[in-house]
Amino acid sequence: MHYSNEQIAELVQPTRLHKNVYIDPDVFDLEMQRIWGNAWIYIGHDSQVANAGDYITLNYGKMPVVMVRDRNEQVHVLHNRCGHKGAKVVDQPCGRVGAFRCCYHGWTFKLDGTLAGVPHLSGYEGTGFDKSDPQYSMQKITSASHRGFVFATLNPNPPDLRTWMGGAADVMDNLCDRAPEGEIEAAGGVLRYEHECNWKLFLENLNDTMHPMIVHQSVVDSAVDYIKTLPEDSPRRDEAEIIPPFGASYEVFEATGITGFKYGHHYDGGKTSIHSNYSVDPDYEKAMIDAYGPERTREILTFNTHNTLYYPSLTIKSAIQNIRVVRPVAVDRTIIETWSFRLKGAPESMLRRTLLYSRLINANGSMVGPDDLTAYFRVQQGLQSSGSDWVEMHRNFGRDEDLGDRLKNTGTSDLDMRTQYAAWKHYMMEVA
Amino acid sequence: MSGSMDIAEIERLLYDEADCLDRADLDAWIELYTDDGTYWMPVMPDQESPVDHISLFYDDRVLMEVRRRNMNHPRSPSKEYPIRCSHIIANVRVTEEAADACTVTSNFHCLMFYNDKQTMFGGRYTHELVRQQDRLMIRHKRVDLINCDAALNSLIIYL
Ligand code: FES
Ligand SMILES: [Fe+2]
Repeated sequence: MHYSNEQIAELVQPTRLHKNVYIDPDVFDLEMQRIWGNAWIYIGHDSQVANAGDYITLNYGKMPVVMVRDRNEQVHVLHNRCGHKGAKVVDQPCGRVGAFRCCYHGWTFKLDGTLAGVPHLSGYEGTGFDKSDPQYSMQKITSASHRGFVFATLNPNPPDLRTWMGGAADVMDNLCDRAPEGEIEAAGGVLRYEHECNWKLFLENLNDTMHPMIVHQSVVDSAVDYIKTLPEDSPRRDEAEIIPPFGASYEVFEATGITGFKYGHHYDGGKTSIHSNYSVDPDYEKAMIDAYGPERTREILTFNTHNTLYYPSLTIKSAIQNIRVVRPVAVDRTIIETWSFRLKGAPESMLRRTLLYSRLINANGSMVGPDDLTAYFRVQQGLQSSGSDWVEMHRNFGRDEDLGDRLKNTGTSDLDMRTQYAAWKHYMMEVA
Repeated sequence: MSGSMDIAEIERLLYDEADCLDRADLDAWIELYTDDGTYWMPVMPDQESPVDHISLFYDDRVLMEVRRRNMNHPRSPSKEYPIRCSHIIANVRVTEEAADACTVTSNFHCLMFYNDKQTMFGGRYTHELVRQQDRLMIRHKRVDLINCDAALNSLIIYL
């Protein structure tokens, strides 16, 4: 169906959402146009294209794009489409080139997308075709970056990236500040995970702190039961710090708090999170103190958030140094990518812990991610029912604390839902 | 074949292991592994490291023990659906051999029925086997899926 602004407004009410938000393919198509077409969408980290000619390819919404570094150190996001007959120009996930060359008729493009060469040009003489006309280049998409995280937008008048991120930028800064050299780089590869559910179900689960003790009870019980069988002097294992907090009590999650921002961003935690009791590698701590001094080090390492969402495409874990990227495919199909990061100047043990976490919690073969995914899948199935048209979100409604640039509420509130859907509505309403 | 490793005995172990996984019986499966045994499923073809790069699985005995308990736990949403597999192993070849240990590669197909869907997995196994107290056991198993770098769905059980 076609949705008018009034009909879109009807779908999102203060304490409930209409099921079509999750199951209607027409809503999905509108989201791709209006949300994914207007928000800043995460493309990749600039460390993935460290040298001139390095590129990565990906889908931006449904469109193939390429991120590339040119010879002047400039990073571009280009439509991955040939200016001639439209063939996808680059088809490897990543690589390094001197120039792009289309596989079909051999047109070549500079690293900034500008058309460079057209074979047998004489046939174009006097036809009105002008090789220097930019319409025949690979088209640029507006992009900007913060601490190496590159975003792109199709919005012709986007808010400045930093302004758009608002207070949620603090968490990205914290992730990078956790590197003794103040910089991070993507490392250890990517894990791609097919989710048979609407993209929003994944996002809404990030700071849904009412689910871990239920959904993850089995893995927590299994880990705790096994730990009990071990002798007291068994060597310390990171797993024993990572898994059990998923079974933390309602009170623990309540105390973490959720902070929401304009444009749908939010995080849970701040002072405490499920990551705040991890032990600190002494070599890492020393490297941090050498770089920042004891005071600033403490400040950086005690800012403990759990998940931070940059709505709609990027979620990061600053205390873990991994991110997950949302790539919607269809109304009921989404690809989630997990990337891990090296803290420059930190011992390699830090990257290993990050990769362990990604494998233990986020991987297709983990004992955590598949249980989450089953829950989303069940929502996607259950919402087909005509038993009710509505999904409720009342928790702590009417008690969000307004601090001007942000809203705060307790860790188990639905503030994260309210924050996301305020942005959803903002993007989805057609501007006259 | 020379040395103490008999190909029939090796194949018997591989088939026994496959049989445990066909029945999703991790209690029996774990007994086929040595105490320092590991199970690895890389996410890249030719991946060199299980710890310096992300993997789909990399379990040592500790994680196998947790997974075994988790598989039998009544409250894991993803385990509410029965898992039925059928493994076929072929092209079994000993690629390295020492006195009491050997490396064996094989091809496998695994047909899995889970949550109303049938999925075909396939690829190559590399088993490092070792004789301990007269018994041939698995010290390491590497599973290279031919589509390891695709966007896979959940992997509920070892393949
Ligand atoms: S389509 Fe690319 S050169 Fe013709
Ligand atoms: Fe979860």
